Amino acid sequence: MNQNGSGKIVRKNDDLKSLLRDRDEHFWQLLADRSADAQSFTEIIALASLRKKAEKLGVKNETVLHDHPLRIALIGGSTLYPFSELIEHLTFTAVGPVEVKSGDFNNYRAEITEETSFLYDLKPDVVIIIPDAQNCRYTGGLTDPKDEIESAASSVCDEILQLAALIRENLKAEVIISNFILPPFTDPGPLRTRSASSDWNFKKTVNLMLGTRAPNYLHICDLEFLSYRHGGLNSIDENAWFESKQLCSPSLMAFAAHEIAHLIRGLRETPKKVVVLDLDNTLWGGVIGDDGMTGIEIGDTSPRGEAFKAFQQFIKTLISRGILLGVCSKNDFENAVEPFRRHPEMVLKETDFVSFKANWEPKAQNLIEMADELNLGLDSFVFIDDNPAEIEIVKQFAPDVTTILLGPDPALYVRQLKESRLFERFALTEEDAERTEQYRKEKQRKSLLETAVDMDSYLSSLEMTGSFKRFDELDLPRIAQLINKSNQFNLTTRRRTQAEIEQLMRDPNYVGFTMRLSDKFGDHGLISIVILRSTGTSNMEIDTWLMSCRVLKRQVEEEVVNEFVRIARLKNVRTIKGIFKPTAKNSMVKDLYPAMGFTPVKIDENRSEFELETERFQNKESFITIDRRTKLNEQGRSFSRTAEYI
Amino acid sequence: MNKEEALAELQNIFDDIFLDEVTVTPELSANDVEEWDSLLHISLVVSVEERFKIKFRVGEVEATNNVGEFIDIILDRVNAAYV
Repeated sequence: MNQNGSGKIVRKNDDLKSLLRDRDEHFWQLLADRSADAQSFTEIIALASLRKKAEKLGVKNETVLHDHPLRIALIGGSTLYPFSELIEHLTFTAVGPVEVKSGDFNNYRAEITEETSFLYDLKPDVVIIIPDAQNCRYTGGLTDPKDEIESAASSVCDEILQLAALIRENLKAEVIISNFILPPFTDPGPLRTRSASSDWNFKKTVNLMLGTRAPNYLHICDLEFLSYRHGGLNSIDENAWFESKQLCSPSLMAFAAHEIAHLIRGLRETPKKVVVLDLDNTLWGGVIGDDGMTGIEIGDTSPRGEAFKAFQQFIKTLISRGILLGVCSKNDFENAVEPFRRHPEMVLKETDFVSFKANWEPKAQNLIEMADELNLGLDSFVFIDDNPAEIEIVKQFAPDVTTILLGPDPALYVRQLKESRLFERFALTEEDAERTEQYRKEKQRKSLLETAVDMDSYLSSLEMTGSFKRFDELDLPRIAQLINKSNQFNLTTRRRTQAEIEQLMRDPNYVGFTMRLSDKFGDHGLISIVILRSTGTSNMEIDTWLMSCRVLKRQVEEEVVNEFVRIARLKNVRTIKGIFKPTAKNSMVKDLYPAMGFTPVKIDENRSEFELETERFQNKESFITIDRRTKLNEQGRSFSRTAEYI
Repeated sequence: MNKEEALAELQNIFDDIFLDEVTVTPELSANDVEEWDSLLHISLVVSVEERFKIKFRVGEVEATNNVGEFIDIILDRVNAAYV
């Protein structure tokens, strides 16, 4: 109940009831919207009752497109009412007219196998099986051998899969099965997780087997996940079990019914194919036209920059799900495209987009053109923007496009997309299967590492790529940040301000370079910094050498040494001096220089010196592929201030 | 909460669930309403629990003979929560 402006008490659904009284056909759209948002059992039941009243009154419904109602059979090991009521209503409002028929309590095996059962009479389009949870338990002892427990889990899983296969074969229906809610109680204590036979672990095993063994026609209503999301103790209801053999708490039942309606809808709806993104304050913080390349927030320098980077990383994963990306931004084209071409922290590149519209035309217009160019329907488009006015324009002039209005906090952008349910995939394809095969081999390699500690094959399997680059303006904030923050892997711990670094970039006696590392699991970003200083015509000193600890033991050190020897040779330097200045925190690198082949020349409590003769140096082997080297514009002379870009 | 308030809220719940209009009185019982079968009864009890934010104990509702006795349990639970 809410108080409205006039102080009169307004009850929820009063608006629906008034449309119903007037037999207004707008009733149906409002009912659908309200039902999609309804979170509780009571709300859904009340809406279902309004629906039935409207049907009885014959309120005209033009949103109905299907000629015959979708026939759904619900069978299982718990009482199926009122679950059936919730499923019927939410499927109706999500998909269209439905007819739901339920089996008897715990009679599903017979209903599936006996051709005289109601199932064979109904000829359902979809069959939902709620397997009996009482049957999903290990009856042996807590200390039984693991193999025995696994084979018991396997037979629970296989029985369900066989019943599903029978339905598929005999009735040609889509099959949805639910998996098992995990018991949320602390009992039996530590053995809950240590013993494969505990109810917790056993159900988890069966669920895992069901999911990974299910053929493509089988869809899973993941009660394990839904109850985790909802909270375990809120998901079960002992009382409802004893009173009327209910599957779960009414609140979880509401979520499960939503999930089933979503699955059924997904069987029919074409998935989204194109994601079109705004730029300013969507892919980066700030406005590129005003703030410029060095002013926008993107990358590891600031928390906001990191959030935008994470958002880009998630967007990038959509490509591998077969989704096309587009840009639609109110900007001058040259301004808009520049970060994609030149900003080192950008995850998304120009080539990731199939269409790039940066102009001053209305966005709806751009989207319509884009759909035309790509020969795709606007209903397969999702448009994402942080600006409510732009979202509104698209809603009005390109209403088939699904829109996402980003909230005020970029930290939550990824969550908004992950919760939108627009990019879900219902089954695995052949290609996926191939990839799975590759992963399987990969896994064998990893287990090799675990058993034999074969570091080489592990490093090789990471498929690492490194790239070196001279200091430039765009990297400057990150360089300054690392120089002033790194404590552990830092040989001299020499702090410098951003202005001092800029100064040094103009000084011909210095060469500063950075290294980035990526591997098959992703991009580690800028992870190492070196500043070399000439100390004579054939001598050079390593003024600064630091590295982010997250890439320790990845052979980054070896490649950095290779790189500064390469630079030294280009500049005809014969001796490179390495300095170690101990601090309270950098003892991890006290033996780094000797380990890299440097000879100690002075060992001291406060400062040790090492030397490396470039002539005798042999390149160190590593599993990192270097795809870019530091460029010395005018070799051996001055270093141009001009930033080098890829 | 008193009996009148509980009765009024119960009327709202009945209006939400039953298709026919039912006037809720303390004397009303399932036998008086055609729609009120054992299935609808489950939805009714769940709705009452959710709306009044209470839990009945096992077997408790079954033992009541009419709405009046049902309200007695509701009030017992609701008011106990505020002690």
